[in-house]
Amino acid sequence: MRAIYPAGKQLLPTTNMAHQADARRALDERGYTGALIRGDNPLKLFEKAVRDRIVDSYYWKEQCFGLNAATLLDRAVELNFIGGTYGVAQKPTPFLCLAFKLLQLTPDREIIEFYLQQGGEEFKYLRALAAFYVRLALEKDEEVYSTLEPFLGDYRKLKRRTREGWQITYVDQFVDDLLTKSRVCATTLPKLNPRLFLEDEDRLEPRVSALGEELEELDNDDGERANGQSDDNDEGRMNGHVDGNGLADSQPEDRSDDSMNGD
Amino acid sequence: MPPLPSRMTKNRAQPTRYRPGKAEADDPASDEESSEEEEDARPVAAKAPPPKATSFPSQKKLAVDLSKAGQQSASATKTQAKAPHEDLEGFVTASESSVSEGEGGSGSSDEEGREESSEEEESSSDDEAAKPMLAPKFISKAKRTQQAPTTPTDSDKAGDEERLRREKADALLQAQLEREAAARAAGKKYWDDDDINPEDEVDDTDDLDPEAERAAWKLRELKRVKRDRETIEEKEREREEIERRRNMSVEEREEEDRRYIEAQKEDREGKGKMGYMQKYFHKGAFDFNGEGQDEEVKRALNRDLAGARFVDDTGDKQVLPEYMRMRDMTRLGKKGRTKYKDLKDEDTGRWGVDMRRKREFEGVDERFRPDDGYSGNQRTGANDVAVGERRRRDDDSGRDGKRTRYD
Repeated sequence: MRAIYPAGKQLLPTTNMAHQADARRALDERGYTGALIRGDNPLKLFEKAVRDRIVDSYYWKEQCFGLNAATLLDRAVELNFIGGTYGVAQKPTPFLCLAFKLLQLTPDREIIEFYLQQGGEEFKYLRALAAFYVRLALEKDEEVYSTLEPFLGDYRKLKRRTREGWQITYVDQFVDDLLTKSRVCATTLPKLNPRLFLEDEDRLEPRVSALGEELEELDNDDGERANGQSDDNDEGRMNGHVDGNGLADSQPEDRSDDSMNGD
Repeated sequence: MPPLPSRMTKNRAQPTRYRPGKAEADDPASDEESSEEEEDARPVAAKAPPPKATSFPSQKKLAVDLSKAGQQSASATKTQAKAPHEDLEGFVTASESSVSEGEGGSGSSDEEGREESSEEEESSSDDEAAKPMLAPKFISKAKRTQQAPTTPTDSDKAGDEERLRREKADALLQAQLEREAAARAAGKKYWDDDDINPEDEVDDTDDLDPEAERAAWKLRELKRVKRDRETIEEKEREREEIERRRNMSVEEREEEDRRYIEAQKEDREGKGKMGYMQKYFHKGAFDFNGEGQDEEVKRALNRDLAGARFVDDTGDKQVLPEYMRMRDMTRLGKKGRTKYKDLKDEDTGRWGVDMRRKREFEGVDERFRPDDGYSGNQRTGANDVAVGERRRRDDDSGRDGKRTRYD
């Protein structure tokens, strides 16, 4: 399923801009004949300042030249941290450069799925990279949600490089940021309708949390206790709704979190 | 010497500059001068008698020296010729010895010019002797074997030096390779030129404490669920509120509004009142009251701006002279301050207040009042004449005589 490309457009090998020494041909408005994302050059998803920093960086020039989807995998498994730009000179991270390369290549959906799922089982930074790409490139909101939400159960640690220093974050935290925040990793994410909106329009089902049964138990406990004493732990306590919209109705949960991590 | 009139100008002839590598432009005047100098120098050099002092190397050498001087130009060669001969002290070539012998014989004669010319020919034939080069000397076979070990040592030295250099280069290269390997082992990429302090880096290895990690994840997930639910609740509440207000009648709505405004006023009264010309700090246009704000941020945003007093505050500005009555006291005494204070003071309109005020010269003694009784506040323009009756002239009546006048 080629959801990324406009219908009826064949991807010819000659239009693949991957083997230019720098991205200038791909960035040029007039000559671009590749795949479009949201009607525009995929590289325009990054801001001009960020694009310039990436293209001028050593990592891009040395490592990202002539990559295709397979060789990009080699680079991606060497990733050590995620991040946008850092330092006074706004130096881009290798993560950002590879994301830029992915946008330049616009690989198929299957490849990205592979990166996310099977590749990501072993390499968490690859998963983060693919998730970032999915958030940027997929045009349909429900696809973004349905692709990324399973990974809200992956709690592996990620090293994150900010302007000031280092931070620890988690895969699920990163995915959550991608779905909620407006700016992640030096990019303004394209507009995504909130999940509630999509649920109201019946394009999406309400989210099934990875906690599943435990959440139900908590809810029931709180529901019982709420009638009696007030309790500190007000998670799950609702005004008159014991199981709210966010909770599934007693569906048989397979422990999705178990299947998520590769440990 | 005055400039020769070859150019037929009054300008002074500029000396030509020396440019290295470029043949000097021949100027006839300078050529003549230099040639004259040369000719002067040569007889002078020839005329100088050879000194008899013993500090000089030898008679022969000096004679040779003089011949050299004659051959080349005057000043420079004397020193030049001396130096190579000092180097070659004790070493005399066959040609030189013949020359010196010839010289020694006729050195004391007065006809220096003849000697010079003969010497010139002979010395010009062996021009090699002028260079400080060691001429090869014949060594008999017996003496050759004595000297044999010295010559191989020279080439040996050269070989040794080369080997040393190569080894040093190798060592350097080796050291560099080792450093690179170490750096690569440490994970530092060669495109990465910034030094990451290893202490600053955080550890991202998993499974250090599976239970704790899982618990942390559960916490995060619960927070997310809670956040989702709260957005739903918020929306619900808003919808309910809208419904409620719609269902109320008009009076009830007004009653609610009034109560809300009064509550706001109460809050505002708790804060201080702005003083006269108090410095005003605006909160900023982006004060949205989000939930994700810090306690400190909230406190800062809801600060009492009007009632705030700070250490350098000048207090009541009413008692200050007019020059010092400004909102921002830091501008006191600085250049470029406009005289604008506030709108009220710049207003030139009379908003009915003056009429009710006392006249200016009311309580003042009669002697000090102005001459024209009440013209203080009135118009003071130059052409300020009250409109009065039109002055009729006698010769004016016939102007509009055709028309009847009705005044």
